[in-house]
Amino acid sequence: MRLSEIMSHAGLSGYAEVALVLFLIAFLLIAVSVFAPSRKREFDAASRMPLDDVHPQFPRPTSGDAS
Amino acid sequence: MNPQLESFRYDDAIVRKFLWATFVWGLIGMTVGLLIALQLANPAFNFGIPWLSFGRLRPLHTNAVIFAFAGNAFFTGAYYSSQRLLKARMFSDVLSKLHFYGWQLIIVCAAVTLPLGFTQAKEYAELEWPIDILIAVVWIIFAVNFFGTIAKRRERHLYVALWFYIASIVTVAILHIFNNLSIPAGPLKSYSIYAGVQDAFMQWWYGHNAVAFFLTTPFLGLMYYFLPKAADRPVFSYRLSILHFWTIVFLYIWAGPHHLHYTALPEWASTLGMIFSVMLWMPSWGGMINGLLTLRGAWRKVVEDPVLKFFVVAVTAYGMSTFEGPMLSVKSVNALAHYTDWIIAHVHTGALGWNGLLTFGMIYWLAPRLFQTKLHSQKMAEVHFWLATFGIILYVTAIYSAGLTQGLMWRAYDATGRLEYPAFIETVVRLMPMYWLRALGGSLYLSGMVLFGYNLVRTWKTRPATYDEPVIQAAALGKDYREAATAKPAGALARFTQAAWHRTWERLPVTFTVMVAVAVIVASLFEILPTFLIRSNVPTIASVKPYTPLELAGRDVYIREGCFNCHSQMIRPLRYETDRYGEYSKPGEFVYDHPFLWGSRRIGPDLAREGGKYPDLWHVRHMRQPRDISPQSIMPAYPWMLTNTLDFNGIQRKVDVMAMLGVPYGDALNNAPAMARAQADSISAAIVASGGPGDLADKEIVALVAYLQRLGRDVSAPGAVSSAGGP
Repeated sequence: MRLSEIMSHAGLSGYAEVALVLFLIAFLLIAVSVFAPSRKREFDAASRMPLDDVHPQFPRPTSGDAS
Repeated sequence: MNPQLESFRYDDAIVRKFLWATFVWGLIGMTVGLLIALQLANPAFNFGIPWLSFGRLRPLHTNAVIFAFAGNAFFTGAYYSSQRLLKARMFSDVLSKLHFYGWQLIIVCAAVTLPLGFTQAKEYAELEWPIDILIAVVWIIFAVNFFGTIAKRRERHLYVALWFYIASIVTVAILHIFNNLSIPAGPLKSYSIYAGVQDAFMQWWYGHNAVAFFLTTPFLGLMYYFLPKAADRPVFSYRLSILHFWTIVFLYIWAGPHHLHYTALPEWASTLGMIFSVMLWMPSWGGMINGLLTLRGAWRKVVEDPVLKFFVVAVTAYGMSTFEGPMLSVKSVNALAHYTDWIIAHVHTGALGWNGLLTFGMIYWLAPRLFQTKLHSQKMAEVHFWLATFGIILYVTAIYSAGLTQGLMWRAYDATGRLEYPAFIETVVRLMPMYWLRALGGSLYLSGMVLFGYNLVRTWKTRPATYDEPVIQAAALGKDYREAATAKPAGALARFTQAAWHRTWERLPVTFTVMVAVAVIVASLFEILPTFLIRSNVPTIASVKPYTPLELAGRDVYIREGCFNCHSQMIRPLRYETDRYGEYSKPGEFVYDHPFLWGSRRIGPDLAREGGKYPDLWHVRHMRQPRDISPQSIMPAYPWMLTNTLDFNGIQRKVDVMAMLGVPYGDALNNAPAMARAQADSISAAIVASGGPGDLADKEIVALVAYLQRLGRDVSAPGAVSSAGGP
């Protein structure tokens, strides 16, 4: 059976709704993962990256260790 | 001193180059925009010159503003910010220069070829195949330079702005290559490998995502860098930026089919495009909120600093246009707005507001730093801001009114159940006051641009004799890096709830880029594969035959003059459309249309059923001077079609390429010029018999008439092909 025949008989009437649900689930998972209360200090440091043209944030040069 | 420290300098010379290119091309692109706005108010503004006519200049305007102005603005900001975010000079100065000069060469090629009528007839992808190849090469040069800089960075984690640059670079490459696949039929002529429904799908997959990944994600990257810089405070929420980025990348790529609601595109694709477009509202406003709230506690600065004023209105315009986009993608709203000026207003809220004002704000912030002097005049920058803001308001208000007015007039019925405005011209004349107001709004915006240039030049004139290039010192990244134990939560659940997975991706650019590419490619394939593979998407119609050689040549004249910029060839299955234009368009009608010519705006009426509506001589007179037929018409005159000699011998090449694409040409494969001459003679004889001129048999006009007279005939008269010279 050819791929075009499989696709033609698959019936895509509910395609959009299934995709909608899948993406909402993915969105919620990312939201939970990202907004869970943790790593505040690390995210704060990351958000300061554009403010310093000279010194890297990760790693900070004061550590004396580049790795 | 730490022995591991390395010394380097940022390359700001390349940033200065892109900055000037942004201004120069912006000025040109917007001036062309004003000229074509005036042409819509009064066609005399094309001065009767072929290369100044609306159909040829409109793509020049869009290309110049998108790829020249916004493109160079993106490169300006990306070259400045990437070096500083990565604590590294660009990977290669040679590649930087090749990128700069290569991109400007592409723009010059566009500025020459588009007014001369060389076009692929695909919106924002009009440039012909040799220029497309050049774009791909220059884009790869940019990508190598950018990713090379990432590879030698001295900052472990990639900041948000860089994610958006990565997504833009990867996705634009994919979109450009696959939408522009075509077979050359001459040095500056090609035919899309896709036809009809599939070509339309690919075009709007590209077209919508050109907006997404050329005008949105690059500028979001710029926003995430330059807004915190100008406000001197970090972005409101780094976490929100993660959600913003991934949802934008996941969702945008699906939304293209909303440009084709109620067309011959399969319904499932149209619905999918609508649903994903509505979902896009969420991340778009997440980005807007993140941008605006970055100014929390700093609103006082907005009053004093024109840079922040530009940024605030730019981000607000982003919010407005990304609210309106999802709304327009809802089918019922789209039925009213599609083909009207409403869409033009929507686009200009985004382009003038979001892209334009963000660019101005960025350059006002950059200029003193790059030219190492004070900005010549803060006051002038303030005046520019107000000119631009009022210009946008005037422009979009006028055009929103025009769009709503025309959309409502098209669907209006009188008490007897007939169309209230059956003559299309009635719906055009009503727009004239709005078109003049639009031109006034555009003039205000352009005058701000002139002031901007003057301010920049005066600032540049006070630069030092030699630019100071400070030496930066930072340690190289160690290859044996291991995440600290504290940063590595134990257990999958902990890693998930603490977003450890994303922090890891942020320091692994290859993984990050692959994830972006997977998101974009998988989403694309979910739509593209069914569109191409499901046979029922395009039911064949037995009576639909290929264009005759002369009609094919006429179609190319139609393409050269950019007629598709003003005339659609797609009747939607809506009562007020079928009452006005005839039977709605079927997917099977377009199987030989390389490229599709459905259009996206009706400045003039739809032409899908134009064939046989008027005699041949009517078309000749109409093309020579539309106002002889319809005194209030705003269509350009095309007198040169009556004097330009048609290249009959060149038709064979066109037919051969079409045959390579699968169009079943029989006798025409060996005999196209003779068949075309025979059909031209018969049309010329009919014109003479109606009292028209007798010297048109070898002129371009007969080919165009042949094409226009063919439109819609195959389905309205089953079995009827064309009168003479049919394949």
